Amino acid sequence: MTDLKALLAIAGKDFRSEARSRAATVATVFFSSVTLVILAFALGRDAELMRGAMPGALWVALAFSGVISAAQSWQGDLQEGALDQLLTLPFPRAALFLGKLLANWLSMTLLGALLLPVAVAFFGADVAAAAVPTLLVTIALGTLGFAVIATFYAALTANLQARESLLPVLMFPVVVPILLAAVRATEAAVGSGDIALARSWIELLAGFDLVYLVVTSAIFHVVVEE
Amino acid sequence: MTEEAPAPQPATEDPTAAATERPLAVRLERVARRFGREQVLRGLSLRLPAGRIVALRGSNGSGKTTLLRLLATRLRPSSGRASVFGRDLVREAAAVRREVAYLAVHGGSYGTLTARENLRLACVLTGAPQDGVDAELARVGLSEHADRPVRVFSSGMKRRLGLARLALRDAALWLLDEPYASLDEEGRELVDDLLSRARARGRTVLIASHEPERLAGRIDASITIDRGVLLHGATE
Repeated sequence: MTDLKALLAIAGKDFRSEARSRAATVATVFFSSVTLVILAFALGRDAELMRGAMPGALWVALAFSGVISAAQSWQGDLQEGALDQLLTLPFPRAALFLGKLLANWLSMTLLGALLLPVAVAFFGADVAAAAVPTLLVTIALGTLGFAVIATFYAALTANLQARESLLPVLMFPVVVPILLAAVRATEAAVGSGDIALARSWIELLAGFDLVYLVVTSAIFHVVVEE
Repeated sequence: MTEEAPAPQPATEDPTAAATERPLAVRLERVARRFGREQVLRGLSLRLPAGRIVALRGSNGSGKTTLLRLLATRLRPSSGRASVFGRDLVREAAAVRREVAYLAVHGGSYGTLTARENLRLACVLTGAPQDGVDAELARVGLSEHADRPVRVFSSGMKRRLGLARLALRDAALWLLDEPYASLDEEGRELVDDLLSRARARGRTVLIASHEPERLAGRIDASITIDRGVLLHGATE
């Protein structure tokens, strides 16, 4: 119970900080919108190609925005020794990781839910009403797996001078299975409306999420100890 | 500073420890700490009895902050053994954190949160009751600023907020890193008051400070380190 309170307190701190600074929100909304516009413009002459590219474009926009968001989420902790002070307090390190993960995940999921109709409209994709729940579950699970890896590696690189360049280099090889499964599940739900196929990818996505979540939670304390 | 073998320690590590039957709050045995090739603590041995207020002295770069951060579990010893109230700093770090409260030289507060939110966060994470937050804010003179974001605070106000956070915890060992820094006279009296409260509660305090005159009469002993080596310990 105390651990859950600590987790929620950490997540609440991040939400409150972001609500006041809006640093990550402005950057991610702007960046993801620009990404979708550029990709739509580049593929704009071929309607069929546009429809087929929509799942990939959506996840490219989400992935790059997710990196920005995760890197930004640790910057407030590093100012004025706030994280250093926090880590002297007697609460589990996993609560810190899971609290920050919760904040990052919900931000990414919200962004994904906002980008989905925009991407569908920009790329002219056909989405049946029955496929919408499947798409939302895909976004929730895809962003969860992505946020797990992004939050972990952002903590690992937070104190490094070259963190902006190192973070994507380190995390993208690990997060590729998540992105592939998420793109395939989105593709199945949007293109052919094959919900059964989408579910099989979603199950794979859930499996990756679980493995990554357990492993990163278990070893996170090593990342923050000096 | 180049890497060197741990230096031998004086025979008298801390006379106050030998002279009493008190349990040990801090025990260091040939503790060294390196940052890359730079060796900051060099085989430091120290015994600090419980319930004492001890000044930690030394010039800039002597290793005072490193020692305090090590005892606060923010750094691991590169070699040697260290314990707080008999609990190993590395193997039982979580248990040590329950016994230790640390006032860092930096503010240690979140700038985007208000003063009240910073203290409430600390209460939730330490399990301390939140009903003392307003009283502590009043005690350190921040009641009027309780709902302002800490980023607009002066360094002295941030220091006062750190003192409030420290006092909210019922820790057995207080580690204070330059607590008088950035404070006006009223703020410095808050530190004096904090030390009086620590004494009244029987807390152990290790206080790094460059103000021996201010601490005179408020401490039981002092220890001095120089370039990571304990020079002497003396009862005052």
